[in-house]
Parts: sequence; C-alpha cells; structure tokens
Amino acid sequence: MDTKHIELVPPLVEAGKSSDLAQSGHMVFASFSPSNNSLALHLVPLNLTGSKTSTAEQPEAVYLAGCDDVPSSERRLFIADTVVIFSMFKSMLKDAQSRDPTWLQTRQALEIIRKLSVDYVNFIKECWIHASQPISRPEPLQFSVEHYRSLYSIFSLFVVLFVPEPGYEDAPVGEELMEWLNIHFIEPSTEEGDQLSSLDHPWEDENFWSYLTRSTIRGFSKASLFFLNILLQHPSEDLQELVKILIPLVESHPRLPQFTAERDFAYASRKWKDKVKALRVEMDRFLDESYDWWDPLSDLVGILEGRGDVIERVCEELGADWKEVCAAWGIFVDTRLRRQDLPDVVADVIETMPPDPTNLEDMILSSLFSGHAKQVLKHASDFDLWLSAHLADIMEPLGLLDAELDFESGVTKRDEYVLAYAEYLRSDSTLWRITIAYLYSCGRVGEEQADEVLMRVPLSLNAATLDRSLTPSDTMAEVVKDISAICREHSRESVRRAVCKIASTMLVRSRDYGMAVSYSTSAEDWTGLGRVIDAVLDEYIQNGPVVFAGYASKIAPSMDEIQSNSRTNQIFAHRLMFTVRYSQMHETRLERDYPNAALDLLALLRDEIAPRSWWPILLCDAVEFMQYEPKLLFSSSDAIELLRKLEEISIRSSQGSGDDYLTVLIRTIKGGGEKEALERLKQVRLAIARYFARCTVGHG
Amino acid sequence: MPSATVSDSVPIETAHEDMIHDAQLDYYGKRLATCSSDRTVKVFDVVDGDASKTSGGHTLKGHTGPVWQVAWAHPKFGHILASCSYDGKVLIWKEQQSQGSGGGWSKVGEHTLHTASVNSVSWAPHELGAMLACASSDGKISVLTFKDDGSWVADIFNGHAIGCNAVSWAPAVIPGSLITPQQQSIPGQQSQTQSVKRFASAGCDNLVKIWGYREDSQSWVEEDTLEGHADWVRDVAWAPNIGLPKGYIATASQDKTVLIWTKDTATSPWVKTALDPSSALASPSPSSGASSKFPDVVWRVSWSLAGNLLAVSCGDGKVTLWKENLKGIWECVSDMNS
Repeated sequence: MDTKHIELVPPLVEAGKSSDLAQSGHMVFASFSPSNNSLALHLVPLNLTGSKTSTAEQPEAVYLAGCDDVPSSERRLFIADTVVIFSMFKSMLKDAQSRDPTWLQTRQALEIIRKLSVDYVNFIKECWIHASQPISRPEPLQFSVEHYRSLYSIFSLFVVLFVPEPGYEDAPVGEELMEWLNIHFIEPSTEEGDQLSSLDHPWEDENFWSYLTRSTIRGFSKASLFFLNILLQHPSEDLQELVKILIPLVESHPRLPQFTAERDFAYASRKWKDKVKALRVEMDRFLDESYDWWDPLSDLVGILEGRGDVIERVCEELGADWKEVCAAWGIFVDTRLRRQDLPDVVADVIETMPPDPTNLEDMILSSLFSGHAKQVLKHASDFDLWLSAHLADIMEPLGLLDAELDFESGVTKRDEYVLAYAEYLRSDSTLWRITIAYLYSCGRVGEEQADEVLMRVPLSLNAATLDRSLTPSDTMAEVVKDISAICREHSRESVRRAVCKIASTMLVRSRDYGMAVSYSTSAEDWTGLGRVIDAVLDEYIQNGPVVFAGYASKIAPSMDEIQSNSRTNQIFAHRLMFTVRYSQMHETRLERDYPNAALDLLALLRDEIAPRSWWPILLCDAVEFMQYEPKLLFSSSDAIELLRKLEEISIRSSQGSGDDYLTVLIRTIKGGGEKEALERLKQVRLAIARYFARCTVGHG
Repeated sequence: MPSATVSDSVPIETAHEDMIHDAQLDYYGKRLATCSSDRTVKVFDVVDGDASKTSGGHTLKGHTGPVWQVAWAHPKFGHILASCSYDGKVLIWKEQQSQGSGGGWSKVGEHTLHTASVNSVSWAPHELGAMLACASSDGKISVLTFKDDGSWVADIFNGHAIGCNAVSWAPAVIPGSLITPQQQSIPGQQSQTQSVKRFASAGCDNLVKIWGYREDSQSWVEEDTLEGHADWVRDVAWAPNIGLPKGYIATASQDKTVLIWTKDTATSPWVKTALDPSSALASPSPSSGASSKFPDVVWRVSWSLAGNLLAVSCGDGKVTLWKENLKGIWECVSDMNS
C-alpha cells in the first residue's frame, strides 16, 4: 500500500528534517478529532518538565490537518449531483427487497440499472466538458480535466461490458467496444487526415499508410475510402488494380448494426471474408515485384482477413495499445466475440502488450476487459474513491461481487468501498447529509457510523454563518427537526433521543427552558427534564420571583402533555407541577391578587406539592400575605398548617436533617449558612404568632 | 488521488506562554482546548479549520503546575472540560450560559485526592453518565462519578507501582454483536445492548491493566493485565467500536514499540501485535524482534472516530497513521511531514 504524506503549511520543520525536531528536544503530538478524520497536531517538549527553546516559528501553535483533501467547489458539485443517482439506485434496491429475489435479474430491473448507470456516464461527461471549459473559476480545479475524462472512459466501458441493453447481453460486443474506443481514445487525428488530404501525392508522405491502416482498424470507412480512391492515381498500375478490388470490399464490410439478425450478419461476414481471400490471391501475384507499397497493403488486407498476428503487430507499430487490439479483434478476427469470451482474448493480448502499470486508468480498463471485478475496484479506489464506491454499488446487484459479509471486517466488498468513500466525504462536515446517505446503505456497520455523523451535526451555528432572520434556538429547532426526520426515515430512535438530550442541555444554557422541556420530554429523558426544572427553580434563587415567573411561564404549556404521558417519571412530573404552580402563584401575587395568591401558596404546602427544601421559601413568601392589612387571607386552620410546616423544619433541623429542608433558603441568603436560615425562619414564626393574634381579635 | 494531502489551514496561534502538552477538539470538532506548561488551559472556537478570529480564546487559570491533558465531556452534560496537572489536581471547568459575546469559563470542581502529578484524564462514554478517570504518578487511579448537582463521588485505588501514565475507557457497548448482523438488522428495532463500565490504564510497571466496575460490590476490580512492553507504557487508547467486530487497544511505550491488542469475543484473551515501522507491515508478536521497533520512544496513540485509523506520535518527531488491512495486517498509510 502506498503511503500518503500529509504536509503542514507552513511547515513546523523542513521536510525530512524531523530529526532536527528531536535534536532540539521536541516532538509532535497528534490527536484525532472526535468528529472526523482530522488531527490536532502540536509540538511537545521531549523533556516534559518543559523547555522553551524551540526553533520553530510558532512553537505554541496547533495545526488542524485533514487526512483527505476537503472537496473543492467543482468536486462538491460532482459529489452532490451524483448522490441523486445513487439515491435512486438505492430506492430501486429497497423496492427490490419487497419483491421476488429473482426480480433483480428481470429485464425490468436491468433496464433500471442500465438507465441509472448511463445517467452516471452522462453526468461524468458533463462534468468533464464543464471542467474543460476555459472559464475563470473561483478556485482551481481540484481534479483535472484529464481525471474526469478518465472517469468518463472507465464508467462508459463498465456500462458497455457489464450493463448492456437488456436482451443484448449475449450479442457480439465488438462494435460496441470499437465505438467506445473511438469516443474515448480518438485516433487517427483529424489534423493528420487534413494534412494528408492537402497533399498532391499523399502516398509519398511517411504517415500515409499508417493513417490509412488506423482509419481502417477504427472502422472509419469514409476516411479509408477517400485515401484509397486517391491511390487510384498512384503511379503503380498494379496497385491501382488491387485498390479497385479493395475499395468495394471496404465499402461493403458487413457491420453488425446493419443487420437485424445475427445469423444474417454471420452469413454476410463469411461471404465477405471469402472475397477478401480472393484479393489476397490477387495480391500474391505481385509478391516478387518488391513494390514499396506491398507490405503496408498486405497489412491492410491482413487486418481485413482477420489475422490476429497482423493486427497485433500493426497496432504495436502504430503505437496503439492492447485496447485497440482487443476492440479490433471483435471487428475483424472474431466478429461474433461475446462478452464472456472477451477475458480470454484480453489475456492473450496483454501477454504481449501489457497495460501500463503506471497508468491507473489503463489498469482499471484492463481489469474491466478481463472481468476482474475485485481488481477493478482495487485500482479504482487508488484512482478515485468516488469511482470504486459507485462501481461496487452497481456490481453487487449485478452479481459481479460476492454479497457475503467478510468475517473479519463484518462488511461486504461493496460496503467496504462505499464506506471508504463516505469516510472521504466526512472530511467536509457540511456534506453530512450526503455522507449518511452512503453510510446508511452499508448494513449495520454503516448505520453505526452514520449515527455518529448525525449525532455530531452541530446544533448551533457559528455567529458568522447564522441566518440573521432566525434566533439561535430557531436555528437549532430546524436542525433538530431535520435530524429527527432522518432518524425516523432510517429508524434511528436512539440517535434522535441523543440529539434531543444535547439540544435540551444547550437550550438550558441559553435559558430557553420551554424548548428544553420539549426536547427532554421528546427524548423521554426524565433526568434531563429534572435538570431543566432545577435550572428554572434556580432562576428564582439567583434572580428572584419576577425573572423566575417569566421563565416558568414558558414551561407551563408542556405540563399537560407531560402529565398525560403515561411514561413520564412521576417524580419529575411532580417537580414540574410545583415549578409551574409556584410561578403562577408569584404571577398572581405580582398582579396584587393577594387572596388568590395566598390560597395557591397554601395549597402548595398543604397538598405537599412543594418539595421540602422549598417549604422555608414558601413560608417566607407567606409572611407578606400574613401582613396584608385589608383582610385576613388565611383561616386559622390555614395558619396552623403553616405553623406545622415550620415546626417540622425546626425539629428536623435540630435533629441534624437541616440539609433536607434548608439548602434552598441558604442559597438565597448571600454568604449565609444554616444559622442564618433558621434566623430567617424565626421571622416567619413571629409573623405567624402575630397573625394568630389578628385572628383572635377578629381583625380584618 | 494525489499522494500528498496538503493541510494548509492557518495554524492556531494559542498564545500560550510555554510549550503545549495537549490539544483536544470537542465532540463536534468545533472547539479546541489546549493546555500548557504555562499552567493554563485555553479554549478556542474553530471555524473551517481556523481558530476564530473574533475570539482570542478563553484562558482558564487555576492550576499551579504544567497542565498535561485536557478532556471534553459529552455535550449532553453541558460545555465541560477536565484538566490535569503536575500540581496533582484535576480541575473541572464549565462554560456558563452565553450572554452576548460568548460565555465565560469557570472552575466548578477541584479533585485533590492524588498526591503527585496527575498525568491523564478521560471521560467515560456518555452512556455511562458523567464519569472521569484520572491516572497519577502516585500510582493511583481515581474515578469520579458526577451527580446532577455537579458534586461527585470518587473511587481511588492503586493502579500501577511507581506511577500511572494514561487511562482510556472501553466503548460502552462491547463489540461482538456485529459477528451476527443478520439477526440484528431488523428495521425500526433498537438493539438492546448492555453497557459496561471498563477502562484501561498504562503504567510505569510496563503493564497495561483493564479495570471493570462490579455493581454487586460497588467497586473497581482489575480484570486483566496485558504484559508485553519492556519499559514504561506511555499511552493507552481503547478504540471506539463503531463498525468494528472486535475490541482493540493500542499501547505506546518507552520501549519504542506500539502494541495493538485485540479481543475477538468477550471470553477470548487479548492478543497482541506489534506495529512494524521498518517494513510498514506488522509482524505478529512475540516473534517480532528489533524490526518492530520505532526509532524512538512512542509517546502517544490516538484513534479516529470510527476506530479504523491510529495516529502514532514518536519521539523522533514523526507522526504516522496506521490502518489494519482486510488481512488483519497493520500498515502505515500516512505520515506527517511537519
């Protein structure tokens, strides 16, 4: 496996000089980011007690380095557009699961697979054309024009060989191969033809015969015939005579597309070959004349005769490679060459004309010709992870790849390549939707990885990218909604809950308690709900009743829902009820409706809705009502209830259980302790005593 | 694919007054915490790989010695950081609610039960609740279990003679369920999995120990001892189990080796393999000789999120990335030209 280098810019030390670093007493520490495959790197002193003698420019800097190049704009477009085709393919496969297992082999299924494969080809072609345009770009192309051209040739060949038009799987493949070759590897060049045709005696040009031969191999009969006709003016009458026979042969070369039945084609081909043989006999008459045109003409006729050795030799001389030989084989040598027979032909050809091992495209193409799906994917993944993932995705349903799980890794071959592509996509966190689309197609392993990606979609955006029309909690709500929908689509309830829990915690921080309660409830996170309620109650302690009442009113609407939810943990429902009702009491009080506020307060104590730690607070609140001049707000039995609570607090505190009762009150007294709290309660006792006195005299 | 990835993000200038010892990104990869010999911890926002220009970061002061490590808690517990220092303390920091220009960090806890330098802190997987493991030069390991109100209970016990260098938690869900995925992949059904409280520690006694919590006795017990290193074990990292069929632990040592420990099933033993930097191929230990040695002490190992890539920081100044191929052989896939 090739080792990839990751370079830091600006460099910490010069390349290859990491030993200098060690000599200066430093090394580099690397920690992976928990969100993707990027690393945080920094210098560390080898002698840990610390020395500040680094020669680096910024010894205290931290580098964030990615393992993959983050896709640039043109690449992002490519990624974003091809996921559409991928998703259609996935939904087709999903649909197939509900059908008969053999459905994937039906004509209908194969037609869909072919259509989507051709869509990929067309799309790659568009990208290639787009990349070739000499327009000004916001950033340089990350992948060259040549890269897209290679993708185009590879994917096209894959379609020709493995996703033929349904019904034509067993048809001869030669014509299609030659067509593919002519589209992707154009030879001979038009310029060459133009140059030759401008000459008075083109046959005198050294390129004449090679041009004519190549046009013939490639099936460009128009060009071949043009120059053959010119040869009719050649000074050699013998040649003219032979060319007169050759021209109608080239004109009438039977090609498969001209026939509706293969049988007719085979018959015509046989008859035509007999005529070529007759020409050979004619030619042999001039064998001893040592004409300079004899050898090239003989080669040309040899090709038409379908002599494999001639084709191989001529191609080699022309600088053509194994691809050209293989395509020509299907046109001239074995006109009925089937797809399944191609690997044997290729094996023979590449023995003498091997593909270029330094050219990944050539290696992928030869593996495709040879029908080695695994080899194709291996080379393709070195070339572009996009290619290996998308080829593997189509190969599996076509039966070209084993769909069994690998025992060691727990994934299929197809998943292995799709997962690798998804990992590459993770280098850009904004591509998370696309990333999970691929991951969720990769069985359990992919699902688990997708879960992690989903759970790490940032819920709050940085201020810089924030849409000004949305508040931070609106933005978060949008994101959570989005993630929840995806979770439902893929049945990932645990992820949805985890995200809701985080959202709730973040909303508590920004004091958006209403939303926080909704998320905790939605996640059925009762401990979390408890934390939100505590935070609201904390508002009372920190900021007093007015602020508290304001925040508590935001969580009131959720009370009904929580109480009607049978799964709610009752402890938290109870605490929520106290919070809401206690805040309502304060609201009533703030509106100066003291009689009702006093009733509410008493109910909270009498019905034991208030937790014990809040009793002292409520008793302190009661003082104001007891001192209400216009009338008595509590009955004497109410006042006895207040006294009873006060007694319980005093007795239990003296028995050492003050913590259960006094913690909240203590927190409201800045810098106070239990002693100060009990002191405060003495004032309540005094107020109750006075109130009893008022009751006795019937005042009010 | 280009064979060189150039990471040309602007380095984050931390403005620490001395060398930094640790840099950790948070759960979302959006914030960076660093700590330094200058006794401070700093927190930066990271936007697209760059430290936010708007905030110069927050400086957290409280330690009285060099700060060795920082660790981010899971966001469901809030914005919480733990740091450990030569001063023997573990400090817990919390970002208070943000008002206007970002929140402020304050110290919300101080763990002072260790009697020597605390070298490593690690938060447990969030499924287990807010728990923090700490390793100290006093030879002890402590585990803090936080309650809702921010208070905690501490378990402290002897870990390694001479000293403990590192701690790392096991994933909450033990792998192995992946061996038979067909039974589990019923759509819409959440698999019921039991979580385990378990972590690994690395020590100056050349050992790696596995600790597990026993609910019945409410205590931490030594479950396993991994013997294989010939010198201090500098770091230990338990791989996340996302998508992995077995358990993996990586250990880095003063003896210039990195060992990968694997465990196929809950009952099978830990099997070790040494990374082999000389041939970029790992040979199975124990037959591996000098060939599986790095040029210098290996200080740190760090797993990627999916647990399929391992970053190794060696004393020779190099960082290498390792990956297990499908044949189970570890290959060096990348190196950093810093």
